[in-house]
Amino acid sequence: MRLEVKDLRKSFGETEVLHGLSFTVESGRALGLLGRNGAGKTTTIRILMDVFRANEGSVTLDGKPFSPKEIGIGYLPEERGLYPKKTVSEQLMYLARLRGMEKNEALSAVKYYLQRMGVEEYANRKLEILSKGNQQKVQLASTLIHNPPVVILDEPFSGLDPVNAQVLKDVIREQIAEKKLVIFSSHQMSYVEEFCNDIVILNHGKAVLSGELQQLKKEFGHNRLILSLNGCNGEQTAEKTADILKGLAYPDGIRKDQVILRLTEEGSKSRVMQALASAELDVELFGDYRPSLNDIFVESAGDES
Amino acid sequence: MKQFFIVLKFELGNYFKSKSFLITTLILAVLVSGLVVIPPLFMKKDRFSSTETIQETDMEAMNIEEDLTEDQDALVLALADPKGVLSDEILLKESFGGYRWEDCQSLEEVKEKVENGSAAAGFVMEDELSYIYVVENLSMMDELQSEFETVYTTLYQERQMKEEGIDAEKVQEILSSSCTSQTEVLGKNSASNYWYTYILIFVLYFLVIFYGQMIATSVTSEKSNRAIEVLVTSVDSNSLIFGKVLAGAISGVFQVGAILGSGLLAYHFNADAWDHKLDFLFDIPMEVWGGFLLFGMLGYLLYAFIFGMLGALVSKTEDISKSASPITLIYVASFVVTMMGMMDSDSIVMKVASYIPFSSSDAMLARIALGSVSGWEIAVSAGILLVSVLLCGYLAAKIFRFGTLMYGNPVKFTHAIKKLKEQ
Repeated sequence: MRLEVKDLRKSFGETEVLHGLSFTVESGRALGLLGRNGAGKTTTIRILMDVFRANEGSVTLDGKPFSPKEIGIGYLPEERGLYPKKTVSEQLMYLARLRGMEKNEALSAVKYYLQRMGVEEYANRKLEILSKGNQQKVQLASTLIHNPPVVILDEPFSGLDPVNAQVLKDVIREQIAEKKLVIFSSHQMSYVEEFCNDIVILNHGKAVLSGELQQLKKEFGHNRLILSLNGCNGEQTAEKTADILKGLAYPDGIRKDQVILRLTEEGSKSRVMQALASAELDVELFGDYRPSLNDIFVESAGDES
Repeated sequence: MKQFFIVLKFELGNYFKSKSFLITTLILAVLVSGLVVIPPLFMKKDRFSSTETIQETDMEAMNIEEDLTEDQDALVLALADPKGVLSDEILLKESFGGYRWEDCQSLEEVKEKVENGSAAAGFVMEDELSYIYVVENLSMMDELQSEFETVYTTLYQERQMKEEGIDAEKVQEILSSSCTSQTEVLGKNSASNYWYTYILIFVLYFLVIFYGQMIATSVTSEKSNRAIEVLVTSVDSNSLIFGKVLAGAISGVFQVGAILGSGLLAYHFNADAWDHKLDFLFDIPMEVWGGFLLFGMLGYLLYAFIFGMLGALVSKTEDISKSASPITLIYVASFVVTMMGMMDSDSIVMKVASYIPFSSSDAMLARIALGSVSGWEIAVSAGILLVSVLLCGYLAAKIFRFGTLMYGNPVKFTHAIKKLKEQ
């Protein structure tokens, strides 16, 4: 399956919040939908969910108009929401039945997902008495209970301890392995890096960066080197190497004790290495710069961009 | 449709699995039936009739009451006549049936007996036409004093007439003569229909205000606990709002039905014990029940949809009362108009009110019960109300879908309509 979002525009009153957003997601691959608060992620997700319609643009699945009700979609909202006064199994049954499952089928699915999430002992307890982590697991169970081919997860790891996070990671990996189409929205970039093959970074309702994550990392690292000197912090390293590397590279950013260097037209990795060696500097680290997703995000969605 | 029934079943479960809902219903039903069943057990038919008998100075009835003075369980009354003004004390005691008398010598002795509980009350004669009534606690319902005064005054008048040579019986006969009449009611008898109409309209008022708030709270709480985020993407909003509103409506009708029904059933089996004195409350004609079911339920649904819609426009349950106050005021105004209009149910105000959807549930019900209303008027009013309910349900579903995802400050109704157009 291939979900294609094309030239999506959405206005609320006079304000346009999405300005022609486009991206694609494929089965068995997870897409990281990233952006700062107010960038348009929730609006995009709500258009996908058919909560409201776009003013312009299209959402298609394998070339046909996308209908979430026909396809079946599993949505884990950022704002967790279930019934605190109802028992865990009662509300999972309710949601499963609402999504078209027959009673017996729903019962088996409830049992399976409660076991899979490790919360089967709470089946007949009210949700409000469960810890936040266990409530989160129940919420994820409610998202996946009807085995949806399209899964949208909005901040699935917020508030989870490492053990519970591992359970969730395993379940999400299973979904991807089962060739589900997964859209993953989070501000925790380490999780996005872990799961997502592709990313879209939104800023002010536009996709400022999109593509395959590894390729983007390579492109962002192109012509950039990383350097650190023993006993120096980033600023000191930049100061010490400014004259030595003049004409070859210049500081393009500082990350803790490291300096990111951008090569000039005359500069190359080997010439920089030679210059450092001839200056007899005590090099701790030198190599190609491989930006983290966080670096890419800050660079793409930061105000200065 | 399947989703609607799933929502309806789930929402009904919220009411019917709630212990407080079931216990409240049970307690109120038992209380109402108890109020109908228990009083006749304590009512003495003769007590009801004693005053009337004496007022009529019917000597035959007095003879019957003589037996009651021997009743050892009867209330004890103290009587003191220190100045000897009572010419015939025995006749007084005999005439004042149903009590045992204790003779005392002074006011102090009477007070003592009343204080220590050996007498329920006491009378101390000061002169022929004045006395002191002594009682521990004077109840709002105290009838002893007026009974005593009536009996004593009658005896005094008879004695005076006898002394003047006037035939007391003849005078009594003349004074008690009155004309008789028969009333032929060709339409409705407002005098007898008033009270049950009043109760039915009040029941409707309770249903709308109480359950309207409950429906709004149910919608808002799903918004405040964010369950709505999952629901609007899992279920069609029409199924959701209709399921919720109808579940609230069914629960309300069940609760009120159980309470009213228990009262009606209890009266059905106790009407004779009450001597049919409560027919004015419980003997409701079928046409009035029909009007109540048709207009009451449609009106209730109309307001239920509006309350559901308003619940979707706020994010916190504490904001509901503020958001719902305009519609509550509209309903209270329509209730007051109907209550005042019941005195003249064929007035122009009532006629107009019976066609306006917000007031027709009350006003048309009152007109059916108390006034002259033709079949076509009922049909037109019911039609307008039904169309209004459907429109309101449609609008409620739209606003519900839109409003449920608007968090923060309460959204104004006009703003919601504007936003709906933008979508």
